Amino acid sequence: MMRKVYIAVVVLGLAAIVTQHLSSPSSGRAVSPEDFAGACAPCGAPCPSKK
Amino acid sequence: MSTASLAAPRSGAAARFDLLFLALALGASAILVALTLLDGAPASAALIVGGFGLGVAFLKAEFSYTASWRRFLTRGEAGGLLGGLIVIAVTALAVVPVAALAPKFGGAIAPLGPSLIVGAFVFGIGMQLANGCGSGTLYTVGGGSGRMLIALLFFCIGSVFGSLSLPSFLALGGIDPVLASDYLGPWGGLAATLASIALAAGLIVLVARRRGADYRPSRNYVIGGVAIGLLCVFVFAAGGHPWSVTFGYTVWGAKAASALGFDLSQAPFWQWAGPKHALESSVLSDTSSLTDFGMLFGAMAAAAAGKPFAANAWPPLKSLIAAGVGGLLMGWGARLGFGCNIGAFVGGVASGSLHGWVWFAAALPGCLIGIRLRPLFGLSRD
Repeated sequence: MMRKVYIAVVVLGLAAIVTQHLSSPSSGRAVSPEDFAGACAPCGAPCPSKK
Repeated sequence: MSTASLAAPRSGAAARFDLLFLALALGASAILVALTLLDGAPASAALIVGGFGLGVAFLKAEFSYTASWRRFLTRGEAGGLLGGLIVIAVTALAVVPVAALAPKFGGAIAPLGPSLIVGAFVFGIGMQLANGCGSGTLYTVGGGSGRMLIALLFFCIGSVFGSLSLPSFLALGGIDPVLASDYLGPWGGLAATLASIALAAGLIVLVARRRGADYRPSRNYVIGGVAIGLLCVFVFAAGGHPWSVTFGYTVWGAKAASALGFDLSQAPFWQWAGPKHALESSVLSDTSSLTDFGMLFGAMAAAAAGKPFAANAWPPLKSLIAAGVGGLLMGWGARLGFGCNIGAFVGGVASGSLHGWVWFAAALPGCLIGIRLRPLFGLSRD
């Protein structure tokens, strides 16, 4: 039973990733939220001093 | 053809490897690498490969932050915690100086304040209930644990709620990141970072010895710690920032919520430049998601190469509920605490950022509460 669940999760998950990738804009090089100006944390949150 | 018949020929009672899941893991990884290369993004392909290596290393070394922290808190055993510090020390050797000297690279930094402390504390509770942290959830899901599939699902849901809560918690106040290299320069910052790791190791050994417990890391944790540290350096070289796990979960959860009709684009968190870009772009444009996918399939390949995959029965309902509750708490806590054991603790300390140690100090008492809650769900305190 668990194997079947895993097969479904992997196949559906991979299909979702590929579909989402092909239907979304891609900037080429992958980026992290930290790459954007004003980011003060790995999630892109601003610095307290900027408020 | 049944799934069982797709497994490799059996030798005696046990199959030596699981051909179906080995092929699934390798095939899925190859597809994702091909998609990134078609986009002209070799660094993205490298992040998937780095994540794959991390999945193999974590699974083979059975490297667990959650169990290590629990053994330290309940029995005083320090070997696992010291193994985790080996990872940080190896990573810091590259991250602190390179992030300070090379403009295209940056460390994992975060503000200090109530959000960090509350988030790390709640994450600590969640990781003991789920029995896995950010990286642990990934490699155990990849390794065939159906229980951790539940934890991952709720981790994603919790992190979306966390993304909605974070701006309110940041409004409570805080101070800007404190980075050792900003005050001491790249090499002074590295020396201070390594000294802080040595001091922490000394204190941990002292506690273990006072409790009469073993403090020596196992061979697995020493070799695994060095290997994982080197892979962290590889991911840093490919992505430009230290390895992080949980932002990917937030992106997956938000994209799923958007597909279900929930509009998150007006929420303050999703209007910040980085999250906004991640929500609008391909999931393969997010560095965290790339290493996450690689790690999942790396652990799956390593698990399937050694024995039949996902052959265990589902655990009791109470254990599944603990996984769900733990996942929710970890997801929410990871967003408020600026990451998990990897993004906040390993990445933060290895960058010479004070928030990494604050995260550790706040998550540890959370773990203590999580350990006390484990028997409610039929889980042992050990």
